Amino acid sequence: MILLTFRDLVYRKTRFIVVTILAAVVFALLFVMTGLVNQFNLEPAEAVDQFGADAWVLPEGVSAPFTSVSVMPAAALDTVDAPTKAPVVITRSSVAQGDLPEEVVLIGFESDGLGAPQVVEGRVPAAEGEVALDRTLDIGVGEDVTVAGTPFTVVGLTEATTVLAGIPFAYLRLPEAQMLAFTSTDVISSVLVAGAVGSLPGGLVSLTSDNVVSQTLQPLEGAIASIDLVRVLLWIVAAIIVGAVVYLSALDRQRDFAVLKAVGASNGSLLGSLALQAVLIALGAVALAAIIQIFLAPQFPLPVTVPTGAFWQLPLLAVVMALAAGAIGMRKVLRSDPSQAFAGAA
Amino acid sequence: MTVGPLTVTDLVVEFVHDGYAIRPLDGLSFEAQAGELVVLLGPSGCGKTTLLSCLGGILTPTSGTIRLGEVDVTAMRGKQLDAYRRDDIGFVFQAFNLIPSLTARENIAVPLTLTGHDRKASFARADELLEQVGLAERAHHLPSKLSGGQMQRVAVARGLGHNPPLLLADEPTANLDHIQAEAIIRLLQSLRDDGRMIVVSTHDARLVPIADRIVQMVPPDQHEERPTHDVTFGAGESIFEQGDPADLVYVIKSGDVEVIRVLADGGEELLTKLGPDQYFGELGPFLGFPRSASVRAHSDVVLTAYSPRVFREKVLHKT
Repeated sequence: MILLTFRDLVYRKTRFIVVTILAAVVFALLFVMTGLVNQFNLEPAEAVDQFGADAWVLPEGVSAPFTSVSVMPAAALDTVDAPTKAPVVITRSSVAQGDLPEEVVLIGFESDGLGAPQVVEGRVPAAEGEVALDRTLDIGVGEDVTVAGTPFTVVGLTEATTVLAGIPFAYLRLPEAQMLAFTSTDVISSVLVAGAVGSLPGGLVSLTSDNVVSQTLQPLEGAIASIDLVRVLLWIVAAIIVGAVVYLSALDRQRDFAVLKAVGASNGSLLGSLALQAVLIALGAVALAAIIQIFLAPQFPLPVTVPTGAFWQLPLLAVVMALAAGAIGMRKVLRSDPSQAFAGAA
Repeated sequence: MTVGPLTVTDLVVEFVHDGYAIRPLDGLSFEAQAGELVVLLGPSGCGKTTLLSCLGGILTPTSGTIRLGEVDVTAMRGKQLDAYRRDDIGFVFQAFNLIPSLTARENIAVPLTLTGHDRKASFARADELLEQVGLAERAHHLPSKLSGGQMQRVAVARGLGHNPPLLLADEPTANLDHIQAEAIIRLLQSLRDDGRMIVVSTHDARLVPIADRIVQMVPPDQHEERPTHDVTFGAGESIFEQGDPADLVYVIKSGDVEVIRVLADGGEELLTKLGPDQYFGELGPFLGFPRSASVRAHSDVVLTAYSPRVFREKVLHKT
């Protein structure tokens, strides 16, 4: 059976190579789509985690600090009953280097407190006019930028500090962020709390970090659902490609199967040959796709993080899909009549 | 390998095609012994391949029996038939039907491995058979690189893979020139000499001299020289029935006839009505086919019955 399968693959190699490449492109897109959805899900969790807070205190009616405008008096910090707490400013702003401003989420943090950036290069902003930026802005340490029109120098870089599908964080010391966001140092966005939150005055609510993560993800749910739909469509395209080639192969080999049936070969062994062909095409395409996605993913404007699990889940699903898609071709084998072997030349 | 006699008794195969029934085999009987080369002789469409399919357990006849030794082939079903084909029958198909992606050697060995034989032993057997058919040096060639005669020899070798006592060959010399055909005939002779029964369907008269037994699939033309005569039929009387052997051609002198196709469900379809000076029933005798429709007298009719040769000379050539 293996020899029969292998020889047929070699005999019709042009067709199988073309189909494998086509399926590989589809599977590569599936890898990338999976990576995008994974990144969307990971992004807020990683970003929120870097604040080091267990709870976020916000004004009542504010769904989450990254998805709605949150404003509260700075004096509210003293009313929050918690062992470790720190004020934070979170607002949308822009960073420009030259004429092209880029949208950022401005984070105002208290030095050495919760919410301070975890820089991977350079240092944490410690003086007036200093900013730390997420790496995806592609601006190096020591370079000059403007934040909301005010000049700053980049002193540090952070990683995995983006939300809402790639909007990067820009970290400033709290007073400068307050002035840029509210033109007042009497106002903050939220209070970050490490540990349990005790009593809260009226008008304030506490959200866990998990709540903040899920609320931050909410605006992307439509995009994630759309990508999931595209993934389903890509699976259907892959199934059609693999199914079509298996069906064509079954059609081409109908006489061969009739001959082999006539000499006593069982349906099982012939089905096995066709099924193995479908599985080999699917696995070959997935292997090629795993290579293609390495080159394809960086071309996407958004970060693509293909989860490790996808590298075994996708082949497994591809095999199941190939067997299902090849079923029509395999039915052809089951129905092939050994008396066809006696028919004249094809 | 030697097997008991092959006995075919009153074999009928009926197919339904486009709503009407056709009988490529209608009451065929013959017997053959082990070690014989049996030639099924007849024109295309006379049921040779249908008979081979029945003998090989690929097609179940409508009625009648086939016995190979003590085994009633016609009583077998499903897995029994698979085992019968796998163990007792070797097939050589018309147009070779080699698998194009496999080499000559693999074409012989792969069917063996697919039917449960040991892989190593299957390839050893393939080498042995290729040696026997004189193609050892072409073992690793694909069918596309072999001549027609070489492909047919590989096909014969494939049929012999499991050393079956009965080898069925469908038109083994068709599509071959006389040199290649001679090689195949010599090969079949040698296989017969091994004590194997070989049944060959052919319309190639070159196989006749080496046959131990000839089964005429169409009765020999005994009516060629029958004298021309008039016959009369009363209204509603049958002149001939669909499926009857075709012998004479009829010209209507007076009266009308109906040409009727008998359908598979027993119903009838009127094809045409014919009257004086028109003729019917000419194609069957010319081609050696059984009657393809029934003809019935619509009124009292007088017909002139001609043998095909006389009809051709006196009626067709005159018009």
